[in-house]
Amino acid sequence: MTASTPESYLSEWDRRLLEFEESRHISVFRRGMRNLVRNRLLLSGVILGLLVVGAGVLGPVIAGGDYELINFSNIHAAPFSEDALLGTDHLGRDTATRLFVAIRVSLAVAVGVTGLALVAGLAIGTVAGFRGGWTDRSLSGVMDFIWGFPLILVAVLFAGGLGEGLLSVILAVGLVNMAAIARVVRGEVLSLSEREFIEAARAGGLSNWRIIRKHLLPNILAPALVLASYYVAVAIIAEAALSFIGLGAQPPLPSLGQMVAEGRNFLQLNHWETTVPGLALVAMVLSVSLIGDGLRDVFDPRLRHEAKGLES
Amino acid sequence: MRYLAGRTVYMLIILAISSVAVFYAIRLSGGDATAARLPASATEADRETLREVLGLNDPIYQQYFTYMGRLLSGDLGNSLTNNALISKMVIEHGRNSIILGAAAFLLVFLVGVPLGMLASVRRNTFTDQGIMSLSVAGMAVPNFWLALLSIWLFASVLGWLPSAGCCEPKQLILPAIVLAAEGTALTVRMTRSAMLENLDSDWVRTLRAGGLSEARVIGKHVFRNALIPIISLAGLRIGQIVGYALIVEVIFGWPGLGQVLVNAVLRRDYPVAQFFSLVLVVMVVLGNWFADLGYLAANPRLRKI
Repeated sequence: MTASTPESYLSEWDRRLLEFEESRHISVFRRGMRNLVRNRLLLSGVILGLLVVGAGVLGPVIAGGDYELINFSNIHAAPFSEDALLGTDHLGRDTATRLFVAIRVSLAVAVGVTGLALVAGLAIGTVAGFRGGWTDRSLSGVMDFIWGFPLILVAVLFAGGLGEGLLSVILAVGLVNMAAIARVVRGEVLSLSEREFIEAARAGGLSNWRIIRKHLLPNILAPALVLASYYVAVAIIAEAALSFIGLGAQPPLPSLGQMVAEGRNFLQLNHWETTVPGLALVAMVLSVSLIGDGLRDVFDPRLRHEAKGLES
Repeated sequence: MRYLAGRTVYMLIILAISSVAVFYAIRLSGGDATAARLPASATEADRETLREVLGLNDPIYQQYFTYMGRLLSGDLGNSLTNNALISKMVIEHGRNSIILGAAAFLLVFLVGVPLGMLASVRRNTFTDQGIMSLSVAGMAVPNFWLALLSIWLFASVLGWLPSAGCCEPKQLILPAIVLAAEGTALTVRMTRSAMLENLDSDWVRTLRAGGLSEARVIGKHVFRNALIPIISLAGLRIGQIVGYALIVEVIFGWPGLGQVLVNAVLRRDYPVAQFFSLVLVVMVVLGNWFADLGYLAANPRLRKI
């Protein structure tokens, strides 16, 4: 969505600023903070994201109310009706209360999946890329194997094995995303291992663990985080899709996909039962994509290459 | 040839491993397999007898070989819920899935490639930007959300198309478009960038300098070269379509393999879940193998190895 290529993104002033910061060893993250404020897309993504996270974390506490409470005397209420801000569904349950809990479920799945995928993907990718040889071949073989299957099919298989529910969703999506992250990390580590500073560290007699921790990880963390932000969106969409077809969150626990599925039978009667969770889903995915695109602009390794090129 | 042989052996190994993995996953199912077949009032002794009859008390590896032996002899067993022959189910629903999948697959290329070409020829114009924005949207919108929007718009509001069902041509239109959306968007982008790469190259400049008409340069030379990466990645679209079909078939009530599998998982009908997941896994593995073959076709250098 951001049309800015690294070349057009850097104005002459930016180049000088980057050069200055490189020479003063100002950390990537402080530079990131500066760019955060300057990069409008990233900023709007962060604001939207904070709103969504706020709704998921604080919403249930502030709104109170029981998301399971059934009230047949007030079904399909329109938004802004008395004591139902966003209306009610076909069982008379309060849409706002359920929405907050559903966002919380979505966030929990996104955090669980991405945490799992990032940690395991980083570990496997780094070991495979760094050790090479048979370790690399077998680990990469397994990762390619997993990555070769469509996410939804893997999730359905997990639901078949472990029973439908959020646990299967988290494990399945986490597994596939882990494979995707591990593949990219392995590639990054392989290309970094060829570089002089890693050779120098080896020649200096540093232990493998120290080379990985002090020299490799800091260099692959930024691209891995950018990649992870993309997989947060994948996780949110996958959870919603699986809950939509009944394999994700199980009633009475609400989830965005499940609310959309329940409301779609009553589109003519009260479309808000579908539109509200649908819009929340779009907002979540949009904020994550904006943040991902923004982060790529801010942390793109090519930007740093250019700055270094100017220095020498 | 060595590349081809290597990829084929790899494909067969993957096939064997995934069949074991699928079998174990479904057999380890936490739910009680007898619950689908017997009424809730059945005694524990009855359940035990059924398990014995179904061979569920044997070690899993033994069950695997028994199962594979049966598959090879064409005996696929019966559904636990309605006792239907699985071999009949797979033919009937498989046909529906192939119709839907083939329609989506054709759409991906018949719509994606021309749009990508148009965008590249009209580079940086309004047409290009319009097509590219559409393709960004096609990749960003979750397909079940797209499915609901299209049902709402074309079935509820406009009333042009039926919202669900099978197997009239009219009922095929919406699910095929939704299933094809993301693949089409990807193909547009790939076609555009492959065309642009060639349009900027020296040999195209030479052709133009030689006095060839622009239509001939693009239609005959640039297009042929741009097609290589698109064809070589066509196999990957098969896996993508298989995955998304699981959701699209459920939403549109299209009675294909995906819908049956999802229902079987929900009802703990493990013989059906077992076989249908195996079928889908085999389709994905074969799709990936076709992608390898496409890669071979696109890279003549690999043939010499």
